[in-house]
This record gives sequence, C-alpha cells and structure tokens, in this order.
Amino acid sequence: MPRVPFLLALPLVAVLVLGLAPLLTIAVWSFWTWDPSTYWIKPEPSLAGYLGILNAGRWTVLLATLAKALLAAVLCLILAYPLAYAIHFLAGRRMALILMAAITIPFFTSYLIRAFSWRLALGRTGPINDALVAFGLTDAPLDWLLFSNFAVMVGLVASYMPFAAFPLLLAMPRVEPSILVAAQDLGAGFWRIVRTIILPLTLPGMFAGFLFVFVMVVGSSTEVQMLGGAGASIVSVMVNDVMRVANFPLAFAISTVVLALLLGLVLIGNWLFGLSRLFGGGAS
Amino acid sequence: MTRQRTLNPLASNMQRRQMLKMMGASGLGLTAGLPFAGPAVAQDKAIGFWASATLDIGANWSRLTDATGITPTFTDNGNDMGPVVARLAAGNANDLFDVGGFQGGAERELFKQGQIVPWDLTKIPNFEKLWPWVKDMAHLKADDGAQLGIPSVVNADSIIYRTDKLGVVDSYGVIFDPKLRGRVAMEDAWINSTAFAAIYLKGAENQPIGDPGNLTVDELGLVMEFLIKHKKDGQFRTFWNGWEQGVQLIADEEVDAMTGWEPIVYEGIKRGLEVAYAAPAEGYLGWGNNTVLLKGAIDRGLTDTAHEFANWMLDGYYGCDIATNRGYIVPSETTAGYAAANPADFDAADIMAKADHVAAKFNGKVFWQNVRPDNFQLYEEWWQKLRNA
Repeated sequence: MPRVPFLLALPLVAVLVLGLAPLLTIAVWSFWTWDPSTYWIKPEPSLAGYLGILNAGRWTVLLATLAKALLAAVLCLILAYPLAYAIHFLAGRRMALILMAAITIPFFTSYLIRAFSWRLALGRTGPINDALVAFGLTDAPLDWLLFSNFAVMVGLVASYMPFAAFPLLLAMPRVEPSILVAAQDLGAGFWRIVRTIILPLTLPGMFAGFLFVFVMVVGSSTEVQMLGGAGASIVSVMVNDVMRVANFPLAFAISTVVLALLLGLVLIGNWLFGLSRLFGGGAS
Repeated sequence: MTRQRTLNPLASNMQRRQMLKMMGASGLGLTAGLPFAGPAVAQDKAIGFWASATLDIGANWSRLTDATGITPTFTDNGNDMGPVVARLAAGNANDLFDVGGFQGGAERELFKQGQIVPWDLTKIPNFEKLWPWVKDMAHLKADDGAQLGIPSVVNADSIIYRTDKLGVVDSYGVIFDPKLRGRVAMEDAWINSTAFAAIYLKGAENQPIGDPGNLTVDELGLVMEFLIKHKKDGQFRTFWNGWEQGVQLIADEEVDAMTGWEPIVYEGIKRGLEVAYAAPAEGYLGWGNNTVLLKGAIDRGLTDTAHEFANWMLDGYYGCDIATNRGYIVPSETTAGYAAANPADFDAADIMAKADHVAAKFNGKVFWQNVRPDNFQLYEEWWQKLRNA
C-alpha cells in the first residue's frame, strides 16, 4: 500500500502545523516573563504565570469549569443515549432520518442566538415563567430560571447534546441484533440486556460523546456569560479577562494547564475504553 | 462589528505601502517625468485609520477624499485597549496604521513607550474650535503640555432606570439599595463598574477616594470589597455585556435600574417603556474616543497628511455624520455650525439638541473613565475575586 504514507502525510503535517505548533508555543511562552516596558513577554524563565493561577481564586474557576463540563457531558449522555438507541433499534429508516435531522437543529443558528433565545425563554417575563404562573404552579415568576447555574446548564446541554448523540449513533452498530435475540432466547430481560450487552459494547461511543461535550464546554463562554449570574465565570472568560490586561504568561499558563488536563483525560479514556474500537466494526 | 471600506484593508494598506516604497526607490525624478504626476501625489495621501468601529462613517469617508484628497482605510481595532496596546508595543500596528482612534486613558503611556507622537496643533486649526474644557483635558497632554490625543467623540454615562417603578433617580445609591436586591445590574467590565462604585462611595458616602477612574491600591481594595459584599448579598441580577443584552434586561423587566449607556434608554423609549437616564448627584462617568498620531505615520513621511486628516475630523461634516448616524458628539462648535449651514444634509435641530444634552452633562460633575489606570492588572485581579465571590 504505497499510497498510505502519502495520504497520511498531508493531514499529519496539517495537524502538526495548525494544531500542535501553536499549543507548544503557548506552553513555552507560559514560562516566560511579562515585560511592562513592551507589554509583551521576554524569554526569561519564570513561574509567575503558574503562581498567578493560585491567586484571586483562579484555581476555583478551573475546578468549577471541570465540574460544569462533567455535569453537562453526563446530562448530554443521559439524554442522547435513549435517542441514539431509538434511532438505531426502534425507528424505521424514514423516522431515523427525521430524528437525526432533528438532532442538528441547534446548529441551524449561531451559538449567540441560541444562548440569547434561552435568555428570553427563561426570563421573568418569558414563556416558561408565564406558563408556570398561568397553570398556578407558582405564584410569581421564578428568578432562578435565568442568571443561574441552572440556566447555564440548560444552555450548555441544549447546545452540545448533538455532540454526544452522533458518536453514540456510530457505536450502536457494534451491537449485533443476533446477540440481542440470543440473549432474549436465553431469558434475559430488557434491562439485563442493556446492562450486560448494549452498554459495554457502546462504551467507546459513550466516552467519545462525553469527550466531545466535555472539551467543548471547557472552551465555551457564551452560555455562561449570557445565562449565568452576576460575574459568572468559566476558563474562557477568565483567559479573556487576563488577556485584556496583557498578562500573557498567566493566560498562557491557564491554557497550558487546561490543555494538560484535557490531554490526560483523552489518554486515560483511551486506555480504559479503547476509542479506536469505535471504528472497529461489530462486537467481538 | 467590523465595517471596512475595502475587502481587505490590511492587504490594501500593505500593497499601498509596498507600492510607495518601490516608487520611492526610483526617486522623485521618475514621477516628475511622468505626465500624470498629479494623481500619483494624490495616491500618496492615504491614511490607515485604526479605530473603534463607532468612529467609522462607512461610505461617507468619500467626503474626506473630496475635501482633502486623502483616501482613508478604516480598520476596526475592537475598542478593547488591552490588545490594542499590545499590538502597538509588540506587534505590527505601527507598520500598518497611521492614525488611531482609541478609548481614552492610555495616551500618556503610549507616548512614554514611543508608540504615539504629539500632534502639532499649528497644523490643526480646527483644534481651537473644540469646546474649551475639552482642549484642557490633562490626560490627553504630555508632561510638557504637548497634545497627545484629540477628542473625536465624548459622552458621559450613568444609570438607566424605570420611572414607572422608581420615580426619579438621582443617585448611584439605587444600584446598591437593598430594597432592589436582585433587581439591578452593572456592566461586566471593571473599567466602568469599579468607576461607578467609586463615584458613589466618594460622592454619597464620603469615602477617601481621589480619582474614581484611577484608583490607588487602597482605594481599589475599598471599592472592590464594597462590590463583593453586595454581590454576596445577591444585589445584582447579572453583569451585562453588549448592546443587545443591555436592552433586553430593561425591555424584559429583568432589572429596574442598571449602570450603562444612554442609547439603551432611547431604545427602551422606542419600545414604549417608561425609562430614563439619571443625572446622578455624585457625577457622571465621562468617556472619550481620541485621535492619536501613530509613530509609523512619521516614519513613513505622512505627518502632514495625518494632521490634515485630524483637522478634517473636526471640520464639521464628520461631527454631523457621527451625531446623526451614531448619536455621538464631536465636542466642537463646528458640529452645530456645519449642521446649520447644511440643512439639506442634516437635521440641525436634532444635532444641536444632542450636542446641548452632552454639553449639559459636562457642565456638572464628571469623572473620567480610564482604560489604563496605573494599577490595571490589580483591577483584573480584584475583578476575578468579585467573579468568584
């Protein structure tokens, strides 16, 4: 297969140049020193950027970001799994196509409009509060529906759920119908089949979906800024704040730490779940 | 929100410079020998204007070309002075642009770094027609009195509030009033929100604060502890960003009062809301966008052209255009004068009303917004503490 190295070369170079090189540069620059006379950095080794993460509660933003990403990814999986199951096992071809198209609806508009529309929907005078009051479920509009962690999570799940659904759809064909029939013939109930056959076989897809959502939430900012409470933060917002005052080593250090955490997550996940199996055909 | 006069202004500017460099290498004799030397000279009168998007007048820059022969290339600088200063100090901004239109406060620092050069006011006769106090603004002058920035537009901000809920508001105290817990907001920007809080603490609570736009370490601590306490008490519904969010907060009754920009009041009134802009007893927060001469213009021999450009901006047409299309005021007597002399082009009454309104604000107490206070990195650190409180 003499063409394989050639076909690999171009994307490999693209990944190295477009992806890895900037990240390595950021990692190196995170150890340089800010120079107030030039407003830039100079190549004098310093840990000031990393020590800065310990100040002003910045490390709590890192932890809170990871917690938000974890919760959003789990919620997305919980919602996406039955959907992927239904599309693969229950829906006919036509219905499956309609459902898959429906998953892409959030992408029909920009992320800004998406978040803004939730702001309108969840607000004091929005349709959800109007309905709650009209049906007598509450006496007054619920303030916590908007500008709260709840609102942020609604925005994040609504935006990123499709990224969990599609890897799951890819993983579902690994469950061969003959195995399910055999399990049923042997007397296994629905939940036992799910627990012992379907879930283990779709684990790589679950992890891939989790990873997609997790990474995207870590890099998000719009949902937090538009739907969160006063001064709500996430890593991207913090990096933006720091860049505005030209504290580049700190911004680079935060980015490097996040990068290391995400890289670690990918490696651990791959070791545990074997992401490559996602593309490896049916059950063995 | 970038509006540009060419498809790729940076490329256009670079090509222009490369062209001029090539022409310079061949010497003046070559151009003198050409039959159409005139248009070549006119092409030399090109200016790269790197400014806040609000200063762009789009297709109407042709009026500058008609009047002076100068062809401007407008590039939006994003209006955030952090990246602007960094790009001047460590990037290629001075290679690309000749004149800047910057949010006020960083002029003296940029001058110290050698990134901008003082204006020669003998080449800007319209400077004398600026409102008197504008000419004397200290933060736009070097230690020796040289003029570092020329105000392009000025205004002063305070509080947007609902008159149907609150009656008449004349103090920032409304933002910190426990009776309005969860019904007020401030901007998600330390440049503005720390200054508003400092103006309140200085004016209403007699706290020892000198310049609310440039707080010392102790003053900053005092102001930020105050904001953190109120945030922990649940005082703020949110911190807002951008025009749409600001309008939505008021329009959808999320808040009854918030610090912010006066055009939000105009938008609210258009939508039938009972909203007004406060004239706070403690004073307004004044701000300006200023025209600065970038060092690169001098290096490229564009000093006179840049001065001619700056003079035209104060000549009247630009002020009328900006007032009509953006609602901002060039603080010069030429604005109203040009409108009155050209009734077919502009609504003179409207422009004069806007100018009088802004002038009236500045007749009272005003503290200046400063995008680069001395302790600007400490401001950011405190802002993180506020976020995380």
